[in-house]
Amino acid sequence: MNDTIVEARNLFKHYKDLNALDNVNLNLSTNRIYGLLGRNGAGKTTLMSILTAQAFASSGEALVFGASAYENDSVLSRICFIRESQKYPDDFQPQHAFRSAALFYKDWDQQFADRLAEDFQLPLKRRIKKLSRGQLSAVGVIIGLASRAELTFFDEPYLGLDAVARQLFYDRLVEDYADHPRTIILSSHLIDEVANLLEHVVVIDRGRIIMDADAEDIRGSAVTVSGSADTVDAFLMGRKVLHRETLGSLASVTVDEALNSRERAEALELGLELSPVSLQQLVVRKTMAGAGTAASGAENFTDDVMEARR
Amino acid sequence: MSRTLAVARMQLINKWTYIGWPLTILAASFLMSLAIFALIPVNEGKYGGGSQAPMWYFLVLGIQSMTLVFPFSQGLSISRRAFYLGTLGLFSLIALGMTALYLLGGAIEGATNGWGVYGYYFKIPWVTDGPWYSTAAFFFVVMMFMFIIGFWFATIFKRWGTTGTLVSTLGTAVALIGLAALTTLLEWWGSVGAWFAQQSPLSISGWAALLCVVLAACSYATLRRATP
Repeated sequence: MNDTIVEARNLFKHYKDLNALDNVNLNLSTNRIYGLLGRNGAGKTTLMSILTAQAFASSGEALVFGASAYENDSVLSRICFIRESQKYPDDFQPQHAFRSAALFYKDWDQQFADRLAEDFQLPLKRRIKKLSRGQLSAVGVIIGLASRAELTFFDEPYLGLDAVARQLFYDRLVEDYADHPRTIILSSHLIDEVANLLEHVVVIDRGRIIMDADAEDIRGSAVTVSGSADTVDAFLMGRKVLHRETLGSLASVTVDEALNSRERAEALELGLELSPVSLQQLVVRKTMAGAGTAASGAENFTDDVMEARR
Repeated sequence: MSRTLAVARMQLINKWTYIGWPLTILAASFLMSLAIFALIPVNEGKYGGGSQAPMWYFLVLGIQSMTLVFPFSQGLSISRRAFYLGTLGLFSLIALGMTALYLLGGAIEGATNGWGVYGYYFKIPWVTDGPWYSTAAFFFVVMMFMFIIGFWFATIFKRWGTTGTLVSTLGTAVALIGLAALTTLLEWWGSVGAWFAQQSPLSISGWAALLCVVLAACSYATLRRATP
């Protein structure tokens, strides 16, 4: 495809005792909203940092607009990546940060930034280091939105924002994206909240991409079948089971497969109940299933899984 | 080029950081020195060390531009090169402006017999004894030196963390002690003393400028692989 905007080839990032990125291959196209999903520490921020040349890969290649972003002004000027733990100059107030961004982004929209600041009730003239966590997130969100960079990353943008502010962010993002299409990568672990926004989903777990698919294709790619345990198990014989829950003689089993209409009819005849699997459930199940089948270090992973279940 | 210039402009958006605070510190330490000079009932030249106050602020500025402004510049996708050139360029301008102020202050001081109270704030024995350009070079280089040394240590810290900073400070100290020990062992102190006695403020500025260039080059090499 010609409209590839981000290309990662065999990206590895080793730290002393872990692989933050473990052979990541990825192609992202222009003018779409991507979700980069995964648990804390899965490698989301590392991947975004390497793509934007804020950090360096141990090996592999990261191309943005067809070239490496490192020290490359023609690439960098089209990227915006405010990180979740973004630092600001000591004396800066939000208004200073916005005026700085205006110097570097040719499509910066000051009116939009002002409107967003009002929406988020952000005090423009308070020192940034005195802001609350939510207000700090708002500064990053506003820079990300108003810069209108061709490739914009949002790194867990909702931290500390209340429900109203989060909804405002999602609404403004969708509105502005409709008027000014660009490529947006939204990293998140609040999957249900962002599910409706996403056009494409990339799930990363322990440095590996475990899912990379269109949101359309994912919806309906898995199903939960519940009913009496024996009937459910017989019906799902030989299928790829992601998760199984039992309560007395009842079972609820999630399979990583779609059912065709004949199978659906059969299930209903057997008295089984079919329910769709939300994106969040699917990601959680897949992440945990991946951890369960990994042979090495299985013990640690089991602990993780237990943690997640609790 | 335009992005380098924008880096400099960005750091002037809040005028306090690079202009307001240095001037405030200078004014405050000047007025305090003057008050003290006036209180001492002696009618001959009184010298104070107050004029070095802004220099320490420049050390802090150097550290902060690396620990806070650099990460911010990365968030706005500014290349490391543009950040480095823009920041160092801006600081050179500030140092130039401050040097001009020091020269002007020194001239007024001379013309008014130490502000009428025989107090010398800008005039420092030996340092300001030479021609004006020697004084200017000395002040300018010292300001640059303070900024660059702060910048350099912060770069080491950003790149290699606390361990790296400790190793490099201790390493520098050990190297200096070693050098002193070697000098003692070889009985070179006489010639070292003679060498220093021969130096003028201008030549000292020259050596310090050389050190600045080396440190600035090292900072850049380290910065090229630093992460925010």
